[in-house]
Amino acid sequence: MTREGTGCERPGRDAQRRIRQVSARAATRSVALDRARGCLLGLAAGDALGRPAENLEPAEIERRWGRLTEIEPGKGGTDDTEYSIFAAILLCRHGSALTSEIVAAAYREEVMPSIDGPMRGAGFSELGAMEALRGGLQPPLTGLWHQHGWSDGLAMRAAPYGIYAAGEPAEAARLVAVDGAVSNAGEGILGGQAVAAAVAVAMTGAEPGEVVAAGLRAVPEDSWTARSLRAAVEVVRGAGGAVDLHDAVVVRDYPWTDLAPEAVALAMAAYLIGGGDVEESVVAAANLGRDADTTAAIAGALAGAGRGEDGVPARWAAEIGPVKGTCLPVVAGRHVLDVAGELVASRERAERI
Amino acid sequence: MASGDRIRGAFIGLAVGDAVGWPAQRHRSGLLAPWSRRLGRELDTFAEERRITTLPVPFALNQQVGPLRVGPSDDAEWLAWTARTIGEDRVTAYGELAARDDLRVRISVRVALGNLARGKPPPVSGHDNPHHFDDAAAVRAVAFGAAGLDPRPDAVVTNSGDGVLAASAMAAAVAVAVAGGDVRDVVAAALAELPADTAIGAAARIALEVADRADDAFAAVPELDAALIDHVYSYGVAAAQTVPVALALTVASGGRLSAAVPAAACLPSLADSAPALTGALTGALTGYAALPGRWCEAARTLAGCALPGLAGTDLLDIATELITKGEQHDAA
Repeated sequence: MTREGTGCERPGRDAQRRIRQVSARAATRSVALDRARGCLLGLAAGDALGRPAENLEPAEIERRWGRLTEIEPGKGGTDDTEYSIFAAILLCRHGSALTSEIVAAAYREEVMPSIDGPMRGAGFSELGAMEALRGGLQPPLTGLWHQHGWSDGLAMRAAPYGIYAAGEPAEAARLVAVDGAVSNAGEGILGGQAVAAAVAVAMTGAEPGEVVAAGLRAVPEDSWTARSLRAAVEVVRGAGGAVDLHDAVVVRDYPWTDLAPEAVALAMAAYLIGGGDVEESVVAAANLGRDADTTAAIAGALAGAGRGEDGVPARWAAEIGPVKGTCLPVVAGRHVLDVAGELVASRERAERI
Repeated sequence: MASGDRIRGAFIGLAVGDAVGWPAQRHRSGLLAPWSRRLGRELDTFAEERRITTLPVPFALNQQVGPLRVGPSDDAEWLAWTARTIGEDRVTAYGELAARDDLRVRISVRVALGNLARGKPPPVSGHDNPHHFDDAAAVRAVAFGAAGLDPRPDAVVTNSGDGVLAASAMAAAVAVAVAGGDVRDVVAAALAELPADTAIGAAARIALEVADRADDAFAAVPELDAALIDHVYSYGVAAAQTVPVALALTVASGGRLSAAVPAAACLPSLADSAPALTGALTGALTGYAALPGRWCEAARTLAGCALPGLAGTDLLDIATELITKGEQHDAA
């Protein structure tokens, strides 16, 4: 590093202004970086905590753990974390210029060839979309072709879009839909948009009520996602418990738990119940069962964005290492904290241009 | 003006297709005592655990064997229910079903009935529904097509998106067929209801290309399986798959039920409803008199395995009631 001047001179007026700008940007950056790190660390912690509770009834969770508050040591997260990292990598590369064709090409070139044997931990929507891609179809038909357009597979990886478009919920919702058109349709895209928009607002430090309201504003009023979210918010306002929440949003006559309108509503309800505190929000989500790894990951992303890295309990952060690539070999070895830094840096680069 | 013989052909053709697929026996075994189905599930586990390829089939043991004979199941019963209630307000008609606890219904219908009971009226009842895409409404739409009525007010109770488009396509196709149309007219009428940028619209066009290349309906089966079915999901009732298969096999068979319906039953994932939809289209094209007599005899009498109140009902009588209503309507 070369140094100009002696360091003893008083800087001139222009230089002082430049220093103020730089330090303001650095402060903004450190806040943005802290929130981004908190967001993805919260997501990974939620994924890991919720993992063993997936598809269990709240009563069964209570029977096994009393209250599930500790991550199973050494197990790590699942598809939620790995797909979020994959989405973040694409965002870092392409930013606001991301297109569905780019995402489809990434599936074809980076995801599908590296799958050796059965895919683990992916949702119906991603697996169905990859079968459609193998059949030569293009988005948005790839997201419509299979029957799981409503899957929460997009909502689970929506957080990076909210980080990248921090403070701009409409842009976050637009970007996540670009990704979603490859694998999802209808309510699955809406679920992703609600989460991305909510994270974008959580990244500003807004209160949980405001964050959830931003999620709601990102989806049409006359949608299943909006109806489900409103019902969940109402239960939380009325201080209802797990049973009331399940009664309000869970589809009892369907055997799978990965419905985005249900998962997003449970996740945001848990975030509200937790008052935006990372531990409280994530624990609330995990103990609600259903698609618990995904709902806890979403709750963790929202709360972590609001509270920053230090908001994530240290004992949970200690369990989050580089991902193994169990679900997506292409992201093996990546750590959410590094990815968060790259997301913020790429956003800054885009702003300077 | 609609032909009575073709309307009977649509109804009995659907029932023949409904009886052909392997799921019919599963549905009909619902009439047996629960313990025999429980033993069946245990035999499945036995086969899995012992790595045995002798697969259990529904069995009667000491009960009446009638339910396990070849015969119609849920789709024929829903067609009969729809024809009988066709003049009623749909919310009222479904409201009566929602109050009953003895029905066996599809996921889309079960969720819709639950939605209605929780104060979610149509179209939300069919929209906020994980199986909004299935072909339950498409099956019922055969009755609306035969009567020359709009199937959508009924379809939106249980379905949305592709599920409603499928109902429109089936009703349009059946309406054209019973009015004397040929295979080409039927396919054109269906396609006109299926926008190309929907899954069902894209799949229908792909399936019809497969049909054009195939020597006959049976020959089209492997390519239809490869082109339309991803085998990722646990259920095979998507209208975007079953309706395109029905259209394709209708074309590939030249509108002959005896060729088209068995081919549809050769797609095991879709065997619950694709043969029934195929039977409705081909039966409507040839008319009842041209259908194989022994199959018509086997498929006419409803079992009551889905809607118990219909046990013993002759589907041909139901078709005749609909024809008579139509004639009275025309006369008035």
